[in-house]
Amino acid sequence: MTKAEAMREKFKSMIAGDAMIVAPGCYDGLTATLISQAGFDCAYMTGAGTSIAKGYPDFGLMTMTEMVANADTIANAANCPVIADADTGYGNELNVTRTIHEYERAGITGIHLEDQGFPKKCGHLDDKEIVPLDEYVAKIRAAVAARRDPNFQIIARTDSRAVLGFEEAVRRGNAALEAGADIVFVEAPQTICELKAVPQQINGPCLFNYVEGGKTPEIDLATAAGMGFKITILPGFLLRQAILSCEEILGELKSTGEPPNRYKHVSVREMFNRFGANEWDKLRVDAGSPKQAAE
Amino acid sequence: MTSSGARLRSLMQSDMVVAPGCYDGITAKLIAAAGHHAAYMTGAGTSASLGYPDFGLATMTEMVDNAARITRTIDIPLICDADTGYGNELNVTRTVREYERKGVAAIHLEDQDFPKKCGHLDDKEIISREAYYSKIQAAVSARESADFVIIARTDSRAVIGFDEAIARCNGALAAGADVAFFEAAQTLDELRQVPQLVNGPCLLNVVHKGKTPKVELADAKAMGYKMAILPSLLYRNVLGACEQILAELATGKMPTPIGDMTPHEGFRKFGADEWDALRTAFRDADGRDAAE
Repeated sequence: MTKAEAMREKFKSMIAGDAMIVAPGCYDGLTATLISQAGFDCAYMTGAGTSIAKGYPDFGLMTMTEMVANADTIANAANCPVIADADTGYGNELNVTRTIHEYERAGITGIHLEDQGFPKKCGHLDDKEIVPLDEYVAKIRAAVAARRDPNFQIIARTDSRAVLGFEEAVRRGNAALEAGADIVFVEAPQTICELKAVPQQINGPCLFNYVEGGKTPEIDLATAAGMGFKITILPGFLLRQAILSCEEILGELKSTGEPPNRYKHVSVREMFNRFGANEWDKLRVDAGSPKQAAE
Repeated sequence: MTSSGARLRSLMQSDMVVAPGCYDGITAKLIAAAGHHAAYMTGAGTSASLGYPDFGLATMTEMVDNAARITRTIDIPLICDADTGYGNELNVTRTVREYERKGVAAIHLEDQDFPKKCGHLDDKEIISREAYYSKIQAAVSARESADFVIIARTDSRAVIGFDEAIARCNGALAAGADVAFFEAAQTLDELRQVPQLVNGPCLLNVVHKGKTPKVELADAKAMGYKMAILPSLLYRNVLGACEQILAELATGKMPTPIGDMTPHEGFRKFGADEWDALRTAFRDADGRDAAE
């Protein structure tokens, strides 16, 4: 069994279990490694973070190729299942088909597909455009038919709450499940009451999107688990941390003219150890590299 | 060095630019070696070389990567298919920047909905005039150099009609496009009228067995076209040649390729002599390389 297949099996047993899966968001090999090293059972590849790491806001500027390349890096770096943002599937049913093939080949555990028009917008921004229900359901069907590993997770995301209302969002979630989706992701419920209603009214596993400063009330993860959500993603968790801590330390360097002492106790070797230096060194020894002795 | 866009503009001043279509380093190199002054990167060929039909499956990244491969292979100006610009004005902006950064001379942007279809297939969907012109404006303001050529393509002939397509060509030129690309004129008479009714340079798309009648390049020039692209000339030739020799092989006898040459003769078409010169160019005369 390949790593990707094993991760998908692992994910399926986790989602069937009692504990809610918590998936912090990563956007590169570094953040993916940190998440799996911290002992999380699942990582999430954020589209917003992927966009920002390439120097763009989350305004639908990433191509499928760029998203998949990042997903490939992350699935390789993380030792846990990885759920990835696949936006709208980057076009019609044909593009959705290719998108599923590509993410699956990249070793991803599952992706979420949404009912926004192309190009999409961040779910917590205004003026989203929504495609008709039948178009959305056709995309979900195309995605389900495109997967080669039946354990590859199709997460149906609906952005319709903000545009068409909560009832329509629930209707779309259930329609997506009937079309073969594995998990439902109702984006941006607006009240605690709506949040509570999602797992009650959706006939399948539900995903909670934890967004700081978004449209959804911020609740504790224990509360989300208590409501019946089976998985929580925290897309911006590390991204914000990275932005703020980098800005802070850059500001100190700029204002004092000296690098702050804070992280100086971490040696170069210790940093490399975090990213598999010992395992790679072992390969050198096992292979009997003559360079090993000289070093 | 003069930008490729500037060189394409000066070529257009002197004569009708004829740009055969390429989709990889091989076809690009062959076009330049044959003495053509410009090349065209075909989206259909790029798609096919990725293993897909021309059904809007190639991403902007894949198209730009292919363009980069081609511009580093040849020095003549490259005109590229940029489909719909891969989304809205924001995506168009990024598309123009990406192509321009790769040294492309010109791109064409069309008024089909995303994802697009080949211009010579049926059931195309067309965006509104306003949406189209604002994409053209976005493209014009996104380019870094004013020499980068923006070609406005309209697919509206098949969907709305001839007059609409002419109006869109002129509207796009008014929005700042440099060249108008009237896709899939349906009769010889329409072909003749396009350069007469459009208030700027016109591009002719020569598609074998497409919707447009066959016309000789000399006639196209006489009609007033400033640019002619032949997207599928080499692509179809490659398909036919490969299929033919594979069929011969299937009969069990060893076929002789059309390109009947030694391996080194083949490499020389791709710069073997220039690369060979680099092997010794930086070494001492006293034969440091002799030790190897």
